Amino acid sequence: MADLLVAHDLEKIYGAEVKTYALKGVSFTVEEGEFASIVGQSGSGKSTLLNLIGLLDTPTSGRVTLAGRQTAEAGTDGRARLRNELLGFVFQFHYLLPEFSVWENLTMPAQIAGRTISAEEMQRALDTLGLLGLEGLEDKNANQLSGGQKQRVAIGRALFNRPKLILADEPTGNLDTANSAAVYDLFRQINAEFGTTFLVVTHDRRIAQQTDRILEVTDGLLVQDVRNAYVRNAED
Amino acid sequence: MLPLKIAARFLRTSPVQSGLIVAGIAVGIAVQIFVSSLITSLQANLVQAAIGTAPQIRITAVEEGDPVPYTDGVRSLVEGDERVEPGAVVPVRTTAALFTDGDNTAPLNLTGGTLEDLDAIYDISDRLTAGEPALGADEIIVGVDFAEKYDVGPGDEIELSLPSNRTSTLTITGVLDFGQGTANERFAFVESDLVRGILGYSQSEYSEVQVQLVEPFDSAEVAADWQKRLDPGLEAVEWQDENAELLEGLQAQSSSSIMIQVFVLVAVALGVAATLAISAVQKTRQIGILKALGMRNRQTGLVFLWEGAILGALGTLLGIVFGIGLISLFYVIPVPFTIEILPDKFAISGVVGMAVALASAVLPYRKTAALNPIEVINSG
Repeated sequence: MADLLVAHDLEKIYGAEVKTYALKGVSFTVEEGEFASIVGQSGSGKSTLLNLIGLLDTPTSGRVTLAGRQTAEAGTDGRARLRNELLGFVFQFHYLLPEFSVWENLTMPAQIAGRTISAEEMQRALDTLGLLGLEGLEDKNANQLSGGQKQRVAIGRALFNRPKLILADEPTGNLDTANSAAVYDLFRQINAEFGTTFLVVTHDRRIAQQTDRILEVTDGLLVQDVRNAYVRNAED
Repeated sequence: MLPLKIAARFLRTSPVQSGLIVAGIAVGIAVQIFVSSLITSLQANLVQAAIGTAPQIRITAVEEGDPVPYTDGVRSLVEGDERVEPGAVVPVRTTAALFTDGDNTAPLNLTGGTLEDLDAIYDISDRLTAGEPALGADEIIVGVDFAEKYDVGPGDEIELSLPSNRTSTLTITGVLDFGQGTANERFAFVESDLVRGILGYSQSEYSEVQVQLVEPFDSAEVAADWQKRLDPGLEAVEWQDENAELLEGLQAQSSSSIMIQVFVLVAVALGVAATLAISAVQKTRQIGILKALGMRNRQTGLVFLWEGAILGALGTLLGIVFGIGLISLFYVIPVPFTIEILPDKFAISGVVGMAVALASAVLPYRKTAALNPIEVINSG
């Protein structure tokens, strides 16, 4: 498989006079179709890493290559375009726009890109709604949904542009056990069905163990990068 | 057009906040329209009262008492100027007289001309309060205060003492309201040849040539132009030169009016800016996620400029309606002058209203454009 994401020697320093090293030179690659996780304690640097990979922030040094594109020279607008084109985000909080309907929230990435939604995309979005168990809720206001439904709409929104990589930051942090399991089942299904690459950030090792690969960040360093089969075997 | 769609949706989902902003702009624009219309109408009324029925430029002799030869050159200079009100060029002869009725004496300034000429400037036909517009030999039209004070009216004969120890008995044909106290008591119109005889002028000699302009406030420029081409013995005297105090009053009134309008609009702009800034803070989460999804800084900033534009358009339209309503009230409530509804003021108010609303949206625009989506995402 080709490398979808290359993180090369990423360093992030906050502050000018008093420097705080959030990341101290992190390098790794993610192949297309992988279902991986980044795990680490609170303050370990995993969210900083996600922000850099997600092009929401720029590294102090090092570089991120996404789908063969160098992102360092992209600029603010260029990074926004790449986010829209290549990435899908699922956060702990759903961040739906309460002023818009489920359908409008779902198709927001296409609207931001200024694209007219094709008949094929429309059918695909309807299929996705079916997959997410949200049929018939298209015209409901986002505020009228339950917490689990909102998070599923957010997942649908992340999928809409058929992104190469979905970055999920504690995606089930606000959900109960049943809904959490449903979300991970859904991620797995999408990964298997569409070949979408997933990178899930979590502090919860049990969740990380449901992924195929675990990247562990501690004190701004990548201290472990293991395949899940190996982790399971080691624990056995 | 996504920024416009988001702006409209943000406004629709906060109806009270949006309504208050629209009402704020509307009140500001209504006050602006009302104050500017009020002052403009009041000033127009004052100017009309002061000079509307009086000459705005007079061509006189530099030496007092010398005649003004009304030559073809002077005639073509004045009548050929397109800034002059057509037909409102009137050569007149003036002299002082003394009215006596046995018990009383009173000074009268006689202006001699043809009825048709004088009508063009003094609007005699419409301003007569009694009698007929007629001005034959030995006839006189007097002011309304004079008639009242000395208890005379149309058909009555009055005796005047004239220069060179002459006397004349004239019949009153009409009583005129000049619109001004002094004129109503002291001014009177007579036939031109009566005065010519007294002054000893030839047929082409006059005391002055009186002129009205299409735009009275052009008088300084027109008089200056004419002065360059008139004989050195003649001068063009314009009304603004002779009414400096009135003009200072008008100027002070205009300045006060503009200051009131500016303060009202600044207050409105600050109110709208504060509310839009609050709205921008309230929508931080939505803006943050839109940016994370790939919306560019400029596009997210445009959301608030569109909000400003929508609120400005609605507020301005409503303000114009309020303004017209407010002015219309003065058609019902009797006031000593008419407040005109001036369409050009609405165009100005429309531009001002939109400018105020858009200027108020600049701060939220900049704040939103500078928002880092990480701030929103990290804050949960």
